[in-house]
Amino acid sequence: MKRTVLFLMTAVFALGTGSAILLGQEGNKSIPLSKVVRLNRAPVNKEILRVKLPRPREIKLDNGLDVLVLERHKLPTVAFMLWIKAGALNDPRDLPGLAKFTADMLREGTTHRTSAQLAADVDDIGATLRASANFGRSVSVVTASGLVENTDRILELMSDTVLNPAFPAAELVKYKKRQLANLQQMRSQPDFLAYERFYRVLYREFPASAVSATPESLNRVTRDDLERFHHEYYAPNNAILGVVGDVQYDAIVPLIKKYFGNWESHPVPESNLGSVPAPATAKVVLVDRPDSVQTNIMAGDYALRRNDPDFIALTVTNHILGGGPAARLFLDLREEKGYTYGAYSYFQSDVYPGPWIASTQVRTSVTDGSMQALMAEFRMIRDEAVPEKELDEARRAIIAGFALSLEQPTTLLNAWLTVDYYKLPQDYWDQYPQKVAQVTPGVVREAARKYIDLDHLQVVCVGNGKQIKKALEKYGPVEVYDTNGKRLE
Amino acid sequence: MRINHARALLLAVALVFAQALIAAELRVPHLAFTDQRLSNGLRVIIAPDHSAPVFAISITYNVGSRNERPGRTGFAHLFEHMMFQGSKNVGKGEHMILVENNGGAMNGTTSEDRTNYFEMLPKNQLDLALFLESDRMRSLAVNQANLDNQRNAVQEERRLGIDNRPYGKAFLEIDNLSYDNFAYKHSTIGSMADLNAATVADVSHFFRIYYAPNNAVLTLVGDLDPQEALAQVKKYFGDIPSQPAPPKVDLTEPEHYGERRETIEDPLARLPLLLMAYHIPPGNTPGNYALRVLGNILSTGESSRLYQHLVKEKQLATSVNVQADARIGPSLFYVMAMPRPDVKPEDLEKAIEDEITAVQKNGVTEREMDKARAQLRRQQIQARQTDLYTAIRLGEYAVYYDDPNLVNTIFDKYNAVTAAEVKEAANRYLISREQTVIIDLPAGTPVHMAAGH
Repeated sequence: MKRTVLFLMTAVFALGTGSAILLGQEGNKSIPLSKVVRLNRAPVNKEILRVKLPRPREIKLDNGLDVLVLERHKLPTVAFMLWIKAGALNDPRDLPGLAKFTADMLREGTTHRTSAQLAADVDDIGATLRASANFGRSVSVVTASGLVENTDRILELMSDTVLNPAFPAAELVKYKKRQLANLQQMRSQPDFLAYERFYRVLYREFPASAVSATPESLNRVTRDDLERFHHEYYAPNNAILGVVGDVQYDAIVPLIKKYFGNWESHPVPESNLGSVPAPATAKVVLVDRPDSVQTNIMAGDYALRRNDPDFIALTVTNHILGGGPAARLFLDLREEKGYTYGAYSYFQSDVYPGPWIASTQVRTSVTDGSMQALMAEFRMIRDEAVPEKELDEARRAIIAGFALSLEQPTTLLNAWLTVDYYKLPQDYWDQYPQKVAQVTPGVVREAARKYIDLDHLQVVCVGNGKQIKKALEKYGPVEVYDTNGKRLE
Repeated sequence: MRINHARALLLAVALVFAQALIAAELRVPHLAFTDQRLSNGLRVIIAPDHSAPVFAISITYNVGSRNERPGRTGFAHLFEHMMFQGSKNVGKGEHMILVENNGGAMNGTTSEDRTNYFEMLPKNQLDLALFLESDRMRSLAVNQANLDNQRNAVQEERRLGIDNRPYGKAFLEIDNLSYDNFAYKHSTIGSMADLNAATVADVSHFFRIYYAPNNAVLTLVGDLDPQEALAQVKKYFGDIPSQPAPPKVDLTEPEHYGERRETIEDPLARLPLLLMAYHIPPGNTPGNYALRVLGNILSTGESSRLYQHLVKEKQLATSVNVQADARIGPSLFYVMAMPRPDVKPEDLEKAIEDEITAVQKNGVTEREMDKARAQLRRQQIQARQTDLYTAIRLGEYAVYYDDPNLVNTIFDKYNAVTAAEVKEAANRYLISREQTVIIDLPAGTPVHMAAGH
């Protein structure tokens, strides 16, 4: 939000971006609980401000490229987002990261421009051009944005990188070295270690289990691999291009045709992901990071596919449990118990069941207390009907929060790209508030029982093994890894 | 010689003139706002924006970690947490619950120079926001249990951001080593011992001194009517009594003599990190603007000098970042670079110094200046996307420089910087014999890697 913040502590926040029982942990002095109190004296407008998401105009080009145009005229800016319908999930088993390498290398030179020329052309107009293929996702995304007066140039640059990448061998050599260093660097971050292990235990043989490249895949990848991935998957008939900003439909479509109209279509390999493995029995995995002063806890299960009819039920359920600073996990673990700076839960969904995850970072000495509190919250939302008032507030929060999304053009565009890509009904966002409003305590409980599946809960803790292993054993057999990902016990 | 010289000068003048003509067209959309003071001293700035049915409120208090005293580092931020712990008519945690459950979002942040509190909400919840902010400005209520609880939360925040992360200590140490004046020398997050020492009496004292209407700026941006909104603000805030002006903090930094250098052994790091800092003038001064433009030229975008030279061509670093700080007092120009695993940190340091020397000797090109202007203009326009960010900036500029209109004019100030001024600022402020250097090394790194010069 701010200018690049180099030094993370120049601004410190009240939040990162319940019930009660406790203690026993830090010595025996009983600290009085700091209870959440509701006085209900503040003036609240009971009316929920209903908004309709503005709808893009759509057109399919002759080469099969789906184009979405969403006009937003507040500022003289424009943003293009191209979703390629192939991503890290399509990485060959022995080459994790190929989709990412391909996307990253789009910026390293085209048949018309060297890497340095491309960088200069983008920066000269103050534009942004990025390509990424996030692990665990079925798409690669290229975004280009800047001031609307540069629209033609931005599109030309975007088209050049997507259609004509050169993948220069010398740049690939440099890229590999930078990435190898990044891999080393990532291993010093506790959150990365938690993600890595959690996705491994949850997805095992399924491609979503990889959250990063490996030194082996980086060393092995060749420019032929990049060219092949690009040639196979980057095709207009396998992509959606969205544009949002201060543009006119009638003027922008010809421009898009000019730069993407001659992109040749061709058959694309069928995506054959298979299905995720059957849920494994509940277990605890410890990543021993001896110098940790906190334990990073991640606990979770499979959630669901993006087009699953339970999506809205799980959205409401998760909101109540851990969706923000007014949710149960935060109020309990932080506001009452003071174990952490933040405790949240969330889920992701794609063409396969993404994960549902609860996570928190707590000082080493309250690892056990935090595990107890998390488990108690999981059980409560499964076993006890959500009070009508609490549910009503969650529904209200989600529906009223819609208004805020209108401020962010790229959020709006993403919402419609999601509809298009996951083949959701065209009136999906019109129906959404109504569907949220219809969620009952019974529906929440059913969703909690299905998705917060304690028999198959996978828990990963990154922390000081010597001090926390014993406590973790209470929650199931403990597997131990070191920070290099090597299994110790 | 003489004639040539004159011709060159004429040519240069013509070029500058042409440039000025082009530059004059570079604009950022104008933001209209009202700016008033209530009788209790509360400054109220309102900017209507009807592009979405939402609004943002930000209250910026003119207090930050610069106002802390020795023995109570981290207190301004701990206090900020206490502002969510309840007031006369709002229960502990209820603030967050009320905002979130009505579709909003909120937070509070603390820096060296200011503390701000903000909410974004649908437009029909203006009363709610004003009620919440006025109640805590009027009647913060704290008790020991809530203080203990938030002390814990803040200590976890410190562990999360600093103590459990590679380079965390180095990020705090660079300021500690660079500054001699306590105001900016100590960290905003504070030490664990000082956080432990804070009492309920400290909280009450701090509240009385700094959390008065005359020490705050309230900004409202969004889908509202300025006159109606002002009337509402008066209704909620008008009767909060003002307080004597808080004591001013002397931010003067004594003259520095000589380079400061430290090597940190970091058990959590796997790769070394190099941090450098130079003393530069406060924000919103010509020198500071020139150095911020230079920061852009050095490290913003993949075509920037340090990225092209050090990451791509010489392959000495995996990343390089430059940030010219803009504080109300003496600021710092930071360079942060990660050497490639087979590169000695001191070789990277030497290469960075060479780049700075090159700027000092040869200056920067007009193309680089134009590029920086294009990037900064885009940044300034994009910064206007959300009501919240606009509200935050109006509040900060009012508190820092008594000039909320900087939101409209700051780009002109960047735009006015010339290549000659960039070169001059580099010569005047980026002085190697006065710099601070920290090398953070993974624990157990052989000593020859750590050797300085």
